[in-house]
Order: sequence, then structure tokens, then C-alpha cells
Amino acid sequence: MIQTLSRNNLIILVVIVAAIWLLPLVLNSLWIKVVTSAVIFGLAAAGISVLFAQLGLINLSQIALVGIGGWVLLRLNYATGLPFTISLVAGGIITAIISSILALPALRMRGLYLALVTLMTAGAFQIIFNAFQFPNGGEGFWGVAQQSAGAFRRPLIAQSDVSYLRYVLTVAALCIAVAGVHRLTTPGRAWAMIRQSEANAMAAGIDVTFFKMWAFALSGFMAGIAGGLLAGALQQLDARTFVASDSILLFALAIVGGVYHWLGALIAGLLFKLLPALFNDFGVSADLTLVIFGAALLHAIMTAPRGIAGQILSGFAGLVKHRETSHD
Amino acid sequence: MIDVKNLTVRFGGVVALNQLTLKITDDVVGLIGPNGAGKTTLTNALSGFVTVASGSASVNGLNLIDMAPHQRSRWGLARSFQKVQIVSDLTVEDHLATVLDAKGANRSLRDKAIVRALDYAGILSVRRVRGVDLNPFQRRLTEIAKCLVGAPRVILLDEPGGGLSETEMKELRKVILGIHPEFGAQILLVDHDVELIRDVCTSTAVLDFGKLIAYGPTAEVLEDEVVKAAYLGRMGAAND
Ligand SMILES: Nc1ncnc2c1ncn2[C@@H]1O[C@H](COP(=O)(O)OP(=O)(O)OP(=O)(O)O)[C@@H](O)[C@H]1O
Ligand SMILES: [Mg+2]
Repeated sequence: MIQTLSRNNLIILVVIVAAIWLLPLVLNSLWIKVVTSAVIFGLAAAGISVLFAQLGLINLSQIALVGIGGWVLLRLNYATGLPFTISLVAGGIITAIISSILALPALRMRGLYLALVTLMTAGAFQIIFNAFQFPNGGEGFWGVAQQSAGAFRRPLIAQSDVSYLRYVLTVAALCIAVAGVHRLTTPGRAWAMIRQSEANAMAAGIDVTFFKMWAFALSGFMAGIAGGLLAGALQQLDARTFVASDSILLFALAIVGGVYHWLGALIAGLLFKLLPALFNDFGVSADLTLVIFGAALLHAIMTAPRGIAGQILSGFAGLVKHRETSHD
Repeated sequence: MIDVKNLTVRFGGVVALNQLTLKITDDVVGLIGPNGAGKTTLTNALSGFVTVASGSASVNGLNLIDMAPHQRSRWGLARSFQKVQIVSDLTVEDHLATVLDAKGANRSLRDKAIVRALDYAGILSVRRVRGVDLNPFQRRLTEIAKCLVGAPRVILLDEPGGGLSETEMKELRKVILGIHPEFGAQILLVDHDVELIRDVCTSTAVLDFGKLIAYGPTAEVLEDEVVKAAYLGRMGAAND
């Protein structure tokens, strides 16, 4: 079972690496932009999955954290001469720290109460972003000018949109690999214990507060990196991108996509960015996407707790098994 | 040595432990008493899961009351729960690994420690089986094996025999009997099974309504009229 699963992983990995090289060749420039942001929001959704799948915690402030990562990257881009990748990692780390601090009041809460606290956080950041906007090369700490003055620097190896998509795919894959390693080692075991029973975890010597904060930090790191990547993709950020309602939407889509496999996060990112774009193409109202997502969430919760990714993977496993038995 | 002095624990109006004073010196000691007597509350107080209203508790001279539960565990206070605690998607060996993770055990020694504990408990063959696929007896033994890794100093076992069959009980008796000689930890064993207590505990304490009503060599305590009355009285009440 483990072997078929890892073989599935391998096949999917090959498909995605192939996609990294093929996609830019077949997509037109608009679709390259859409796929780039889909992957970026997929990374943010993967952060939501860390908290939900590992600890059962609902975080409705992920989009706000994406905004923080983006803000830090823009700030560093205009204030310093640091290379893009360094600023990106700095944004990830700062967002991780903020995320784990935000976790403090949440440590004693679960379920709906935690969800409400994180939603209030998202609302607060929505207001802050609206009031101060994002740095675009202006003066002072907030760095906002009427007319953008500074120049934006993308990574040297990823100047064009096509190479930037490849950069984004690579960074996202690395981050998701880091989260995967967490799952299989000390933190993953500690999280599993905590999820089952905090008392039992403490009895095993696990520092519950520390490992919860660590999970928030990892989730926040992924959001912060996603925010930096988004800033790099658009070369500027707008406060309207980081509204609290989108945090709810992304959370719902992370569940719909499937929180137990990275494929689910990718699906969530695609749904988050692609569906509205597609519907726009067909001239369907964007509000309709909300209705569809709501129905999909209900479907996921009631009949497919492992999400679309779970359904794809078990279909895949069934296929592999079928082929193996027919070969015998 | 476990040294409890004037320990009081309250849940609202219920006094679960009432000025309890108890000095546990033997290597394997039993703790019995009717339902609701305060046995689990005492294990919880020692491991840090209930708030103590007054009094003190120390183990080997170390004051426990000020320590967080996970610190007590890292120091070497292991416990099992009355309601067995197994994580569905962790393997048996991962359950033990969490304890060693927390204690910062050396990597090269870790596998040896896990194999030794699992082998001792007789569940080495299921080391890679996930919690969800274990039968109730294997779950019990996993929880006990978890108490054995990482050089425990004191092990509190809260009704490990609950819900087991006759043959399983026999097996469990052997396991518990050998823990002290094999791993050197002091054991406080809570159970309703008098056979188990008689077999493994040199001395036994009896609680009723949060108070110590008898304490001494196991054989004497089990013959004590006050103890018999406490059990019978409760059973009579339960049958009403
Ligand atoms: N968390 C709690 N909240 C309220 N009351 C509690 C709590 N835990 C225990 N009690 C009460 O404290 C008293 C002692 O309970 P405890 O669980 O220690 O008994 P016990 O000796 O372990 O019984 P049993 O043999 O049934 O396990 C009981 O009256 C119980 O109802
Ligand atoms: Mg009890």
C-alpha cells in the first residue's frame, strides 16, 4: 500500500515536472499569469492543510498572511538591494513569526472559536492593508507613492513570465517538500498525538504549546512565501486582493481539494484562480462560483473527507492494482 | 519514592481527594478503591492534569506540583490512561518514538530502546501496524510499552486490565510483574482486579471518597474488614 502510494507520488511528480516545462510552451501569456497565481495560492492552501490535517485547526486568516509576505517582499525590494530570493525567504520567516504570535490567543481554542479569532485577524489586516496600501517605491516606512517611483526586481533567472512560472513551481515544490518532511518526522508525530488528545501528548512529554506554534509558523511561512511570489508575479500588490472573505474561500477550497495530499492544495489553488477566470471567459457571474464552491464544500464534508485529491489518488491506486492483477 | 502530603483536589462541589497523605516506598504498589474513590484523580494530580487545591506531591524528592505535565514526563514520570489512548494513524513504533523525541534520545539508541520495549511487551511483530488496526489488547500493550522507553523512573498505570479477557489478563500480569526488575521503575498500579493486585503489588493503598482508608502489605489490606465494607457498600448502592 505504501509502495503503491509512493509510486503514485512519483508518477504525479513526473507529470508535474513535465508540466513545468511544457505548460509555458502551450499556454498563451494570459494563461501563464493565471496558472502562476493558481500555483501561488495552491502553496497558501497547502499551509492551511498543514494546520487542518495535522492538528484539526481551522485557520481563516491565510490570505491576510499572504498579504504580509507580499508586503515584506515589496518593502525589501524598494528599501534594499537584496536579491529577490533573499527577500522572499525573509518575507516567509517574518510571516511565520507573525503567524505563530497570532496563534498565541488561539492555543486554548479549537473549532468554531478558533475559526472566529482567525477570521477577526483576517478582518483586521484587511483594514490595515486598505489604510496603508502596499509599498511601491514611495518614501517612509509604508513606502507608498501616488506614482510608483522605484523599479521592481524579479529573480535574475526568472525575468520573463515563462521563466517566472518555472521559478514559482520550483519554490512551491520545495516548500511543500519541507512540509512533507515535517509530517514524517518529530513534528508530525507530535502533531498526530496532540490531534488525538492533548493530555496524552503531554503525558508523552510533548510541549503542546511549542508544537502548535510551530505548526502555525510553518503554515505562515508557506503563506508568506506565497505572498512574496505573488508580489513578484504582479510586480505590485493591491489591498483588494487580501480581503477576509477570500480567506474563507481558500479554506473551503483547501478542504474541497483535499488536505491530506499536496495534490489537494494544488487543486485548491487552481479552483481559486482558474474557475473565476474561466467563468469570466464564459461571461458567467463570479458570484456563481461561490455557489458552486459552497456545494463542493458540502459534498467534500459529507462524502469525500479526503477531497478531490483523495478521490483521484484512490482511483489511481485502483488502476495500478487492476493492472498488476491482470498481469499476473 | 512518591510522597503525597495533605493533597486536596476539588471539582466544583465534589472533593475528589480529601487531605490525602500517602508515602509510597515499595517498588510495585497497588491503588484500589470503589468507583469514584479518587484513584484516577490521584494519578492525574501526580502527572499534572488536574489543579491541586492544596497540599504537595513529590517524587524522589522532586516537587512535582510546579512542573508542567510534559516536563514531568521528560523527567521520567510515565503514565497510561484508564481510557486507552492510541493515535489511529501512528504506527506502534511511532507511539514510542514520540516519547523518545521529547526526551531528546540519541538516534542510534532510539531503535534499540523501541525494539527492547516492544519485545518485552510482546508486540514487536506489530511494530509497523497503525493504531487503527490494533486490537484492544495490542492497544493496551502499546500504551504500556510507551511507558517503558526513555528510562522511566516512575510509572503510573490506571486500570490497565480494564476490559481484557482471562487469557489476556494472564499475559498482562506477566508483563507488569517484570517491569520493575527489567526497567527499574517504581510502579503505582490502579486496578479493580484483585488477582492482578495480589500477584504484582507488595503493598496496596485503598481510597474511598478521596480518603485513605487502608494501606499496608497487600494480603493484609485485602482481608481488612473496612476495605471489604467499602467495596460491598458501593456495590450495594450500585445495585439499587
Ligand atoms: N474532570 C472532572 N470533573 C468533575 N468531576 C470529576 C472529574 N474527574 C473526576 N471527578 C469526580 O471525582 C471523583 C473521583 O473520580 P476518579 O475518576 O478519581 O475516581 P476513580 O477512583 O478513578 O473511579 P473509577 O474506578 O470509576 O475509575 C468522582 O466523584 C468523579 O465524579
Ligand atoms: Mg479511574
